[in-house]
Amino acid sequence: MELSGLTIRNFRNLASLDLELPSAGVVVLGDNGQGKTNLLEAMYYLVLFRSLRGAKDRELVRFGEEAFFVGGRANGGAFEVRAGYESAGRRKKISLDGNPVTRISDAVGKILAVSFAPSDRGIVAGPATGRRRYLDVLLSLAEPGYLARLTEMRSALKQRNAALRRGRGDEARAFDEPLASAGARVLEARTRWVERWSPRFGALTAALGERAEARMRYRTHRPPTADARSQFLDLLASHESRDLRRGMTTAGPHRDDLELSLEGRELRMYGSAGQQRTAAIALRLVEAETLRDSAGSPPIALYDDVFAELDEDRQARLLNLIHETLPGQAIVAAPRESEVPASMLDRPRWRVKGGRVAA
Amino acid sequence: MSVIAELATELAKLPGIGRKTATRLVYHLLKQPAASVERLALALQAVTRSVRACSTCGNLTEQDPCEFCADQRRDAGLVCVVEEASDIDAIERSGEYRGVYHVLGGHLSPLDGIGPDDLRIGSLLHRVGNGAGIREVIVATNPSMEGEVTATYVRGALDGHGVKVTRIALGLPVGGDLEYADGVTIARALSARRDMGG
Repeated sequence: MELSGLTIRNFRNLASLDLELPSAGVVVLGDNGQGKTNLLEAMYYLVLFRSLRGAKDRELVRFGEEAFFVGGRANGGAFEVRAGYESAGRRKKISLDGNPVTRISDAVGKILAVSFAPSDRGIVAGPATGRRRYLDVLLSLAEPGYLARLTEMRSALKQRNAALRRGRGDEARAFDEPLASAGARVLEARTRWVERWSPRFGALTAALGERAEARMRYRTHRPPTADARSQFLDLLASHESRDLRRGMTTAGPHRDDLELSLEGRELRMYGSAGQQRTAAIALRLVEAETLRDSAGSPPIALYDDVFAELDEDRQARLLNLIHETLPGQAIVAAPRESEVPASMLDRPRWRVKGGRVAA
Repeated sequence: MSVIAELATELAKLPGIGRKTATRLVYHLLKQPAASVERLALALQAVTRSVRACSTCGNLTEQDPCEFCADQRRDAGLVCVVEEASDIDAIERSGEYRGVYHVLGGHLSPLDGIGPDDLRIGSLLHRVGNGAGIREVIVATNPSMEGEVTATYVRGALDGHGVKVTRIALGLPVGGDLEYADGVTIARALSARRDMGG
């Protein structure tokens, strides 16, 4: 997978860019605050049609403007994805090869990329929300139907919680069925993925230089059996009185966690900063391999200033793994050339200043 | 507030009409002959004065019972449950349905504060239970999550009333192209596939 052309209008501090990208990718240099990260965020917007950093669409519109646009040509023009957003009507328009898509989920993952950033450590060190988001993004891109189920689960959950806040058990119960059927699929997909990839996560963490054994485990109320749907229905029924007291649904995939541990000790609480950083990189590599397997070719790699914070040994180890897993297009952003590994410098340089890009 | 602004404010409350369009409509009306604008005003008045909900089915009508409930040629044993009165128009356009209707007045949506008591579910149970000879209730709420939940709720409420409850089929549009159908619709169509015999 590669991005061959990129058009940006009024996205964050990027006013107007029309860029051609070589197959190998580019090295993006520029001081902080000039627009490097925004450029990577714009590229990733074409993957998910949402901000990689979790920002709201209206926050992505350049100051003083009313709309933004990002368009990308992929694989040398084999297909084209466009996304536009207008603040006034809060309207988002996505099109594939010029045809508007009615459901955003139909266009999600047409362009595939993996983004490495220092803030990824937050996935390991932060609250469960970030780890659920990691799983959800990854599975939305890798598994057809996952995003649609996730969206159904979320809307059912919102309605059920509103009913619980109104103190109406009968109304809440009416939403058990859509919540359970969508939620069961979400739960199954997540547990299946974690089981399948936990050993690989351990192997990658070791390959990155970590001596203790790393594992991931999906933490849920009850691991799904053959009939996850009726199991979830039972779970909802048994928690109903508690849910009514609290005014929210207290059990379900929306409360689960992806537990990451080193030698049985949770990385979130007991990991050192270095161990958490290593685990975060391993998560991104596992993500890259999953996407590569589902799409049949490696995703685009976006590196936002990730090499500088690694010591020489870990940097070399990471480069080896990247060479294997992500041999395709790489967009490598850093403030200075000296912070980019030598082996990645064989790409054209772009300099970003004040939202403008010079080759 | 000037009368112009006042009218624009009222028009802007209509669905799909923003402040700009509302203002444009007002200026458009002001350019029309007075008689034509008065006809519009009279039509609006007539609608608000004479249209009300049918006491049997909830359809919006000038006569009570409405034209469908009063029509002797229709099969009163077959009731089609819809969310809004406007859905009746859509079903009538098919020319295929000869039963009567029941308008719920929306769907369950706790987020909007709409519960079962805010829908005409009680009056449906009353119709089914009062010996009017209803054999089958067709639930034709929208194929949205809320529409499905409402359908299931209606189904549950009708339990034990000795009436057959059916749900309209969901799937691919006729004359459509499989290639252009979205994934959710195709998944629904697959799970509701029918046996072709043989």
